[in-house]
Amino acid sequence: MRLTPAARALGVAAALFPLSLHPAVAQSDTWALTNARIQTVTRGVIDKGTVVIRKGLIEAVGPAVAVPPDARVLDLGGRTLSPGLLDLTSSLGLAAPAAPTAGGGGGGGAAAPPGGPRPGLDPEREVARELKVAPADIKPLRDLGITAVLVAPSRGLFRGASALVPLRDSVTASDILRAPVAMHMGYQGVPGDYPGTLLGVITYQRQSFYDAQRQALLLDRYKANPRGMARPENDASLDALVPVVRGQLPLFIDASNENEIRRAIRLAKEFNLKVTLVGATEGFEALDALAGSSAVVSVNYPQPAQTTKWAYRLSQRRAPGDSAASAREAQKLIEGNAATLYKAGVRFALASGGSRDFLPNVRKAVAAGLPASVALEAVTIRAAELAGAGEILGSIEAGKIANLVISNGDLLSDSARVSGVFVDGIRYEVTPPPAARAAGGGNAAGNLPPAQIGGSWALNMTSPQGPMDITMTVTQNGASFGGTMTSMMGTNDISEGQIAGRTVTWSMTLQFGGQSITLNYRGEVDGNKMTGTAELGSFGSATFTAERKP
Amino acid sequence: MRYSVLLVAPLAAGTLAAQGPARPDSSRPAPPPVLSLPIPAAGTLVAITNATIITASHGTIEKGTILIRNGKIAAIGKDVAVPAGAQLIDGNGKYVMPGIIDAHSHSAGEAINEGSRSVTAQVRMQDVLREDAIGLYRELAGGVTTLNILHGSANTIGGQNAVVKIRWGLPVDSMLFAGAPPGIKFALGENVRQTNGPQIPGRQQRYPRTRMGQEEVLRDAFTRAREYQAEWKAYETAKAATKKGQLEPIPPARDLQLDALVEILEGKRLVHAHSYRADEILMLLKVAKDFGFRVASLQHVLEGYKIADEIAAAGTGASTFADNWAYKLEAYDAIPFNAALMAERGVKVSINSDSDERARRLYQEAAKAMKYGGASEEEAIRMITLNAAWQLGIDKMTGSIDVGKDADLAIFNGHPFAPASRVEMTLIDGRVFFDRLKAPTLESLIEMLKRRQRPNTTSGGAQ
Repeated sequence: MRLTPAARALGVAAALFPLSLHPAVAQSDTWALTNARIQTVTRGVIDKGTVVIRKGLIEAVGPAVAVPPDARVLDLGGRTLSPGLLDLTSSLGLAAPAAPTAGGGGGGGAAAPPGGPRPGLDPEREVARELKVAPADIKPLRDLGITAVLVAPSRGLFRGASALVPLRDSVTASDILRAPVAMHMGYQGVPGDYPGTLLGVITYQRQSFYDAQRQALLLDRYKANPRGMARPENDASLDALVPVVRGQLPLFIDASNENEIRRAIRLAKEFNLKVTLVGATEGFEALDALAGSSAVVSVNYPQPAQTTKWAYRLSQRRAPGDSAASAREAQKLIEGNAATLYKAGVRFALASGGSRDFLPNVRKAVAAGLPASVALEAVTIRAAELAGAGEILGSIEAGKIANLVISNGDLLSDSARVSGVFVDGIRYEVTPPPAARAAGGGNAAGNLPPAQIGGSWALNMTSPQGPMDITMTVTQNGASFGGTMTSMMGTNDISEGQIAGRTVTWSMTLQFGGQSITLNYRGEVDGNKMTGTAELGSFGSATFTAERKP
Repeated sequence: MRYSVLLVAPLAAGTLAAQGPARPDSSRPAPPPVLSLPIPAAGTLVAITNATIITASHGTIEKGTILIRNGKIAAIGKDVAVPAGAQLIDGNGKYVMPGIIDAHSHSAGEAINEGSRSVTAQVRMQDVLREDAIGLYRELAGGVTTLNILHGSANTIGGQNAVVKIRWGLPVDSMLFAGAPPGIKFALGENVRQTNGPQIPGRQQRYPRTRMGQEEVLRDAFTRAREYQAEWKAYETAKAATKKGQLEPIPPARDLQLDALVEILEGKRLVHAHSYRADEILMLLKVAKDFGFRVASLQHVLEGYKIADEIAAAGTGASTFADNWAYKLEAYDAIPFNAALMAERGVKVSINSDSDERARRLYQEAAKAMKYGGASEEEAIRMITLNAAWQLGIDKMTGSIDVGKDADLAIFNGHPFAPASRVEMTLIDGRVFFDRLKAPTLESLIEMLKRRQRPNTTSGGAQ
C-alpha cells in the first residue's frame, strides 16, 4: 500500500507517540516555497529547491518538486530555509511562581508536610493543563526563528511534567505537540520549611524516588493480585514519579554548575533514571561524569564576575595573580562549553536558557570551536529528539511538521536575518529587530557609558519573608563599585559591583546563626531611581526599588 | 584537562625557574624530586630520610627514615634501608608528624544546616561538598590531611557527617575517606533553642525552645527508630519464612531518616554531639545509655572538665577548643585548662577548629594544652592526630606514624609547636598534595608581580 508521506508521518507519529495529545492539524493553506536554499539538517543542503506544505506538514522537499496546482507560491529568491528552532528552556505561558510559603516549623521530626502540595514540590503539576499563552509573548520568540518551546516551571525541586508547545498565535492545550515530555527537577528548596537547603533538597529527591519505587512495586502487586492486599494509596505526587522510576518518562534535571551536574549524575545512577541535564553551563568541568548522558546546554553565558564567582573559582585552577586574564579565560571556557562537550561525545541540544540573544549566543559557541553544522543540529533535530519529537520535528523532510525559518544566508552566520517563519504550516510575518540590537549583536548596553550611581540609596526590598528597608552606600570606580548595605540584618559589604550601561549587578554575603548566604542583585538605573531583582539563594528571589538620597 | 589545578604547582615553579637562581629564598635547599600526581603506580616507594619523626604513638625518633610503599607506611626507624629507586624527600632538619585530623570542620559544605526540622538525620554532608572550596587548600597547607565535615548545630539531630581526606585537585567523591565509619551530628543548647542571633523576618520559630524539649526530641526520635527497626526485623523474618512459589512479603517503606537512627542504635553510626554545658551533656549520656548506644565524641564540650569522669566512663571522646570562650552565655564557664584536665582523667581529647581559619594552625592550638594544664608533648600531639582519629573510628588507618597505616604526613621546617614553624609538605596516602616550594604562595605571587614591574629584566636590559 502506498501512503502519502504525510499520511505515513502521521501514522508513524501516532504509533511512536501514544502519549502525544491530538496532533495539531490546522486547516492551513497549501504552500510551495520555491527557489529556496534548503538546509534540511538531516539530509544536507539543497542549493535550489522547493518545499511543499500541506495541512501543516511538509509534503515534499527536493530540487525538482512540482508545484501543486492548489498551492500558494512563495518565491524565496535564493533565501535559506531551515527547520524551525526549538528552545527546550522556556516558562512561556506559566503563571509567575507563587512566593514560597514558610510552613510550620514541625516538631519531633515529622517529615510529612502539612496540607497539600507546596510550590516547587509538586511533581503532579502538568504544564499542559495550565498553559495560558498570549500572542504578544509568542511573537518575539518566533521572530528569532523559534517555532517550538519546551515549557516547564523554571524553579523548584519537583516542577512537574513539561509540554512541547508550537509557537502559533493563540496556542491552546489542543495545539500542544507532546505532553508530558519529561519530569522536571531542580535544586531549589522551600525557604523556611523542609527541605530548606541543598542538604534537604538532595535528600528529599532521594526519599521521593525510594517512595516512588515502592509505589511502583505496590501498584504492580495490586494489579497482579488485588485480593488480600490493601490497595495502594492514591497519591498524586508519587504516582507522577512512578513513570520516572520505571524509565518511561525522562527526568530533566536543572543542573548548571559542576557540582550540580555531578549530583544529578549520582542520583541517576542510584535510581537508574533516564536523565537529561538542563543548563550544564559547567559541563566542561565534568566531562567524566557526563560521558554517555544527554544534555540541554544553555547558551546564556554567565558573566564570570557576576554569577557563581567564576573568576574566583577558575583562578583556583589556573595561573594565579591576573584576575582580568582569569576572567577572560573563564569567559572563553564558558563559551567553549558546547565545543568541549561535542569533542567529548556528549549528546546535546543548545537552548536559550531564557536569554533573548539565543542565536547570537549560539554563534559565540561556534566561534569558540563548535562546528556550525553541529550547532544547527543542536538547535533543531537534537533538541527535537531530546523532547521525544525527533520523528515529527527538527529537520526538513517529507512528513515532518512544517515548522520552518526563512533567512538570508545560513541561519548561524553573523549577518543572517530571519524574515519569515512557518509554524504548523501557518505563515507568520517577522518584525525586523531594532537596528541597534541587530548591529551590536544584542549587546546595546556595551556601548553606553556606565551609569553614575555613587552616593546613598534608600532601597526597599520585597522578599518572600516580607518587606525590608536597606540603606545602600555606593563608591563608584569606573564600571565597578563597592560600598555597604545596612538593614536590620546589620551592615554588610558589597562585592563584585559591576555597571554595564544602565545595568547594575552586585553581591552581598549575609551571615547569621553560623550560616552564610550570598545575595545577588541586578538593577536597572534610571537617573536617581533603580528597580531590580535579588536572588536570595535558598530564600528564593525578591524585587526591589531604590531611590538615591539627595 | 579535567583538573588542571594539578598544573598550578608546576606552573608556578616554572615561573620561578625562568628567573634562574633568584628563588624567593635562595638559602633554601633545592627542591626534592617531583613526585608524580595523581596516583602513584603500584610498588611506588617514597622515603623521607634523616628527619625527626614525631610518631604520636611511640615517641619521637631522631634522624629517622620513613619508608612508604603503595601509600602505606612500610618501615620507620633509624636503620631503615632505602631501596634503590625510591623517591627521596630529604628530611634533614625537618620534623615529620602524622597528618593533622580536624574533628570538627564545615569546610567545603555548600550547605551546612538543614535546620528546618528538629530531626534531619536523613541529610548528608557528602551530598553537598564542593571540591574547590579554598579552605581545603589552606588546611592542607597547615598540615591537615583529614576532616570530619559536620552538619551545623541548628537542630537536635542534624545531618550525617563526611570524613574526607583533602585530596585537593581531585573530584570531591574521591576525597571521601574509604572505610571511615559513618557519623552524625547532634546538637544541644543555645543554637538549637535559636536564642542567639537575629530572627529572620517571617520565619517561624521551631520546636524545641528549651533543653527539656531537646531531650524529648531525642527520646521521641529513638523510640520511632526502634519501631521502624522492629518493622524491618518482622519483614526479614517473614521473608526468610517464605516458601518457594509463595509471594514474598512487601518490604516496609524505606525512611532515610529512620535508617540513620537505626544505624546509631546498632552502633554502626558514630554520634558527634555539639554540647557545652555539663547538665546537657549528662542528659545526652543518659539518653544514649537508655537507648543502648555510645556517643563517639562531644564537640566543644567547654564544661567537660566538670564531668570528665562521667565522660571517660561513657567511653566518649571530647573534642574541644584550645581557648575560645565567652562568645555566648553557655560558653562562659570555659577554661583553657579544659583539654588537659579532661585528658588527665582519661578522656580521649582532641582539639578542633570549627573554622577554616583556625584549621590552618591546629598545631599551635594543640600546643596550648601544654601551656595550660601541662599536657605532655605527645599528649598534645595526639589531640590533633591519634585521638581525633579514635573519635572518628579511623585510628587503625591513620593518626600516627606506624607501620601499616596510611602515609598521611605533615613535614614541618621546625618543631610543630615552635611558634615560627610552618608546614613544608603534606602527604596523603604517600602522595604529595601540598609542597610549599611549588605552591602558589605569597612569595611566588610577589615574585611574579616584581617581574611584571620590571619587564626587561629577562633580556638583561635596563635596570
